[in-house]
Amino acid sequence: MKFLGYILRNARRSPVRTFLTMASTTVSLFLTMVLLSYFTVNDAVADSIKLLNRIVTMSSQGLAQPVPIARVREIAALEGVKAATPFSWYGGKFNEEVMPFAQFGVDPSTIWEVYDELSVPEEQKKAFVEKRDGAVIGRRLAQDRNLKVGDPLPLKQDLYPVDMNLTVVGIYDGTPDRDLRMCFFNWDFLNEELKSRANGQMADNAGVVIAKVASADLMPTLSKAIDASYANSDTPTRTQTEEAFAKMFSEMFGDLKGMIRWISLAVLVSLLFVAGNAMAMAMRERTTEMAVLKAIGFRRGLVVTLVLAEAVLVAGLGGAIGTLGAKVFFDLVDLGKYTAGMLPFFFVPWSTALIGLGASLFIGFASGLLPAIQSARLSVIDGLRKVV
Amino acid sequence: MIPLKYNVRNLRVRWVNTVLSILATGLVVWSSCILFGFVEGLQYSLNVSGDPLDMIVLRKGSTNETNGGYDESKADSILTLDGIARDPQGRPLASIELLNIPVVERRGGGRANIIVRGIDPVARELRPSFQIIAGRDFEPGKAECIVSKNLSKRFAGAGLGELLVCGDKEQYRVVGIFTAGGSAAESEVWVDRQDLEQRTGREGSVSSVQLRAASAADYDRIKSTIENDNRFKLAPLSEVDYFAAQSRSSLFLKVGGTIIAILLTAGAMFAAANTMYAAVRTRTREIGTMRALGFSRMDVLFCFLGESMLLCLLGGALGLLATLPLQVITYGTSNFDTFSEVTFNFRFGPLVMGVAVGMTLAMGLVGGLFPALRAVRMDVIKALREV
Repeated sequence: MKFLGYILRNARRSPVRTFLTMASTTVSLFLTMVLLSYFTVNDAVADSIKLLNRIVTMSSQGLAQPVPIARVREIAALEGVKAATPFSWYGGKFNEEVMPFAQFGVDPSTIWEVYDELSVPEEQKKAFVEKRDGAVIGRRLAQDRNLKVGDPLPLKQDLYPVDMNLTVVGIYDGTPDRDLRMCFFNWDFLNEELKSRANGQMADNAGVVIAKVASADLMPTLSKAIDASYANSDTPTRTQTEEAFAKMFSEMFGDLKGMIRWISLAVLVSLLFVAGNAMAMAMRERTTEMAVLKAIGFRRGLVVTLVLAEAVLVAGLGGAIGTLGAKVFFDLVDLGKYTAGMLPFFFVPWSTALIGLGASLFIGFASGLLPAIQSARLSVIDGLRKVV
Repeated sequence: MIPLKYNVRNLRVRWVNTVLSILATGLVVWSSCILFGFVEGLQYSLNVSGDPLDMIVLRKGSTNETNGGYDESKADSILTLDGIARDPQGRPLASIELLNIPVVERRGGGRANIIVRGIDPVARELRPSFQIIAGRDFEPGKAECIVSKNLSKRFAGAGLGELLVCGDKEQYRVVGIFTAGGSAAESEVWVDRQDLEQRTGREGSVSSVQLRAASAADYDRIKSTIENDNRFKLAPLSEVDYFAAQSRSSLFLKVGGTIIAILLTAGAMFAAANTMYAAVRTRTREIGTMRALGFSRMDVLFCFLGESMLLCLLGGALGLLATLPLQVITYGTSNFDTFSEVTFNFRFGPLVMGVAVGMTLAMGLVGGLFPALRAVRMDVIKALREV
């Protein structure tokens, strides 16, 4: 510890270099945090869904194929199922904006039982059931679009052949790791519109059925039972936990995941070169000084430690600013606003931030290793003789 | 003007620093080029598909083939319209198509939606350079399919001779592998339309009609008929526009890629500046000597900027070169417009070049500017006296 002052002074001796190395580390770690968090957030959310005991029934022939609306009642009647709702992706345009936010046709009387982690005031729940054209939207969506209860919310057709002229009757809220940018509306309203204005085209389709199950251990047997009973019908189903269903979407990214990992790695390796280069330059300028240290009796081990400590300090500081900066930045700036529902929320989890910090400390250590060994090996006579 | 040879020699003398800097900038340029190479590949696959006389007819209000469809009777009437180009046998170049999007397992894990397209024979003529490269074409009514080369490598059961399982009732024997000149069709499975109708229980509905007009005047006439005639009331889109609108998922990659490239460039800029500051510092006496010999301040400025540029150019060139082996890689992700798999190849084109050159210039110039300014501002006497 008594050498801390010396290390700090060394680091400050060339403020420009130290600043540049730190800045480089900060930027690289910030970027790495953004890249890695994208996946850790997805995984963390998928994990948290696990506790909510929901199963999703879709057509075994893919999301484009219908699930008859009668299935909702049949699934709800099964033992162990608390409530079930249709969940139909409407995908409408808002002010000519294609895919502005997620919109789902649901059963207003059961949706809050199925999604019991979302909170809605009682009178708004009532209004949602009573008002045919009512819509309940997430708090963040309401903020982004400046929508209040009572405002009109006209959605134009894209996937379905009818427009939906909705009115906001409620705003739901929830914890930050829930999607607070969805729009729920009455599935019956959509179906009536399809029947009266589109000759019943695409009517009676529940989209998928989401069911809340009483306990986690019932989920596998229930899923199997549901699929088995429809296997020989015209519309066979595939039922899976909500977690597996959500993972299916994140798996769609395919090779993007691997590529982002490779890029993160390339950034860190390149940072290693940058930091190593800076440390090597610093050591070259201090050759004489290192020789003096050894001449007055500093042991090799100590010299190595001094150099390594300086490298770790600079990289660690840069890394800390980068990782914690990314964490604070994304806590303050809500990225979800700008991604049109593709990314409902984004934050840097602590686990990821710690990995980043660890990586920067390792980079400091590795970058200092070669220069440190070099200065330890340095012959005192040569070092003293050298004119830099 | 101080000769460039001076800089080259200097870089050689400090070769360890030079190599490390080149490697660092090279890696940074390389990773950005990868991203943009894939953006470019994706855009290429969506652009190559469009003949200006090709039209795709969707349900009104729909922006996508995968978003619902309309009655087969309407599609049949479209085929009878005047002005549709004809093939040598006299058949109209218009194809009724039906899409299904099953979830299929990737080889090596993970699932994705893929497009299964039910087609009529004429569809092949509407795709640029459609070609069977292995096996044979499918025969209608036998539950056979042909798979694009890219998909066959990537999905379980999609290899030649294997059974592609799309659902309990929807299974096809893969009898052929095809390519389509790098167009969007290269991410699809093709089956007979009737086969698909029966297996998905969607008799009588179609997803789209694709046709080629005989001339530009015919194109406009067909377009207005389909749009306004009460028999149709559908949405005819030019294929070029249709695919351009679909590149929104490449926008997502592009914005992400740009942010990554900017951050990477900033990081590398600091590194270049670091190297150049050290170069200036260790050469204080040399700079003093050059000034004493009569080289002007501008000469010194350009000398150090040039050295910084040279350093970054070497790195940039290395990064670009390192992308060459990637050309053979096929890449798959989801097109979030159709929620289905798109595969494309890394493509080395103007975008990649632009990114590499832009990053290199930014790093070299900005990274070298401040150290070079420091060299310029040096007092000649003091610099010469420096130990």
